[in-house]
Amino acid sequence: MRIESQEQSDAVLVEAAQGGHLDSFGALYQRYHNPIVALAYAQLGDRHAAEDAAQEAFAVACRDLTSLRSRTKFGAWLGGICRNVTRQMLRTRNRPVPPADEPGQERGPEREEQSDAVRRAVWKLPESERELIVMRYFNGFSQAKISQVLDMTPSAVNGRLVRAKRKVAEFLKRDGFGS
Amino acid sequence: MGRVNDDKWLDEALTGAIGSDDTQPDFGKWKANHPEAVEELTSRTPHTQRPPVIRRIRMNNMFIKLAAAAVIAVAGIIGVTQLMQPKAPEAPTTALIVAKTLTGPMTHTFEDGSTVTIGANASIRTYGEAGKRGFEHLTGAIDVTVAKGQGEFVVTTPYGDVKALGTEFTLDLVDGVAETGETVQLLQVQVTEGKVEVSNAKGKRTLGATQNIIVETDNAPYDFSQDENLPERLRERIQAMVAAFEAGDPAAWAANFNINYVFKLGKGQVEYDPLLFGGSKEDAERLQEMLKDIESPEQLSQLFLSSVNLTEPIKIYVRSVELSADGNHARAACVRRKSQSHLVLTRPQWHCFDNDWWQIDD
Repeated sequence: MRIESQEQSDAVLVEAAQGGHLDSFGALYQRYHNPIVALAYAQLGDRHAAEDAAQEAFAVACRDLTSLRSRTKFGAWLGGICRNVTRQMLRTRNRPVPPADEPGQERGPEREEQSDAVRRAVWKLPESERELIVMRYFNGFSQAKISQVLDMTPSAVNGRLVRAKRKVAEFLKRDGFGS
Repeated sequence: MGRVNDDKWLDEALTGAIGSDDTQPDFGKWKANHPEAVEELTSRTPHTQRPPVIRRIRMNNMFIKLAAAAVIAVAGIIGVTQLMQPKAPEAPTTALIVAKTLTGPMTHTFEDGSTVTIGANASIRTYGEAGKRGFEHLTGAIDVTVAKGQGEFVVTTPYGDVKALGTEFTLDLVDGVAETGETVQLLQVQVTEGKVEVSNAKGKRTLGATQNIIVETDNAPYDFSQDENLPERLRERIQAMVAAFEAGDPAAWAANFNINYVFKLGKGQVEYDPLLFGGSKEDAERLQEMLKDIESPEQLSQLFLSSVNLTEPIKIYVRSVELSADGNHARAACVRRKSQSHLVLTRPQWHCFDNDWWQIDD
């Protein structure tokens, strides 16, 4: 039985967009918008700023798409642009801090305390591990999707996620969370 | 409180703390907010794909037909005349060039033949000015090869400018946070061939082949190998440390340490001297305890090597070196980079005794 992918590959969409086909760029936008917001959030620790960074990253990508030679690497290329955009934003303001609880989310005091502690623990991780954790739990992206944006194999994503989670657990223990 | 080692509990806690509602991306809104980017992409439509525009001119009137024939004849004569005349030099025109951000990994070739290899996580922005050679270095590590004999080639960076003429060099921009929380922002310029001039608001330096320099916003460009305040042997020792780390060679790194002295100190054969040992008296006492079963400097050397955690190349940036007033002690401020985002600040020391300069602490 032959199974064909219903979705056009990134490479096909990139090639069409490089030829000026805006709808193909739109399809890439739909495909990568949320992962790129998550990646920016991992750098900035602020959801609104992360949304702004993602918008700007797509604008840069749209303008510079012809410079992308490896069309199959669109996700990783866009991820690199996103990191550059967030670095530029960080240069003009303080470094990221563990984000506070989001307004509008109603939780009990104990739940709030737990969420704060978890975010603090995640923001203690090195940047590369923080990116993995945030991308995994921000929107529950698959290891395959994370691997496309972070340019690593799905198995490497899996291994590093396990290690990063262990570190988060360690930080939480040190913060007084029972084991 | 939950059990942090319970994977399910941790998954739920992470989702609760970081999770976001799955918002539907709105491409229409993005398009409306970024008309210039959209225009740039859609303007790339190949001409062959554009519908041809055909304009038909009706020439029913005899007078109009004659006038048209006259215009065509005059244009033909002018064309032939211009072809027969020697071609005058073209007046300079102002070409419209769009500045572009290029993100690695990739290699870009400029019109003059100069190339830049952009590493992963690195990026540059080309100049949007006709005839201007060079570019803006935004992030990461890049290798530049400048085509010779075509004038000044300038790379601007957030921390200083690099001017080159027919040369090869590497630029490495570091912008991150060290383990201890300090912000680290610097540029390393390394020359492979030829010469470059590096300048910022604090000063200017010229670098030759194989030299490298650190550029930071608040300091003049610094190259310990050109720092004439430092004794030559000390510069060699610092270079040896850098080379050992960059080669991931623990034996080469250990060779900078005075193992004989450490052995004698551990055995109580020399007095504790904080200037030579680097650590506290308690550290020296702990050393004596650790070395009680070590019988020779060679055995200590083996122990030292086995304890060195240097299994892969590590980049070292030497930002400054301070020499004591008596000229016998030096301390460097370094950044050690294990990966793109893993930065560690170190303060290695060197002391001049036993007829040489020795590294004591890192």
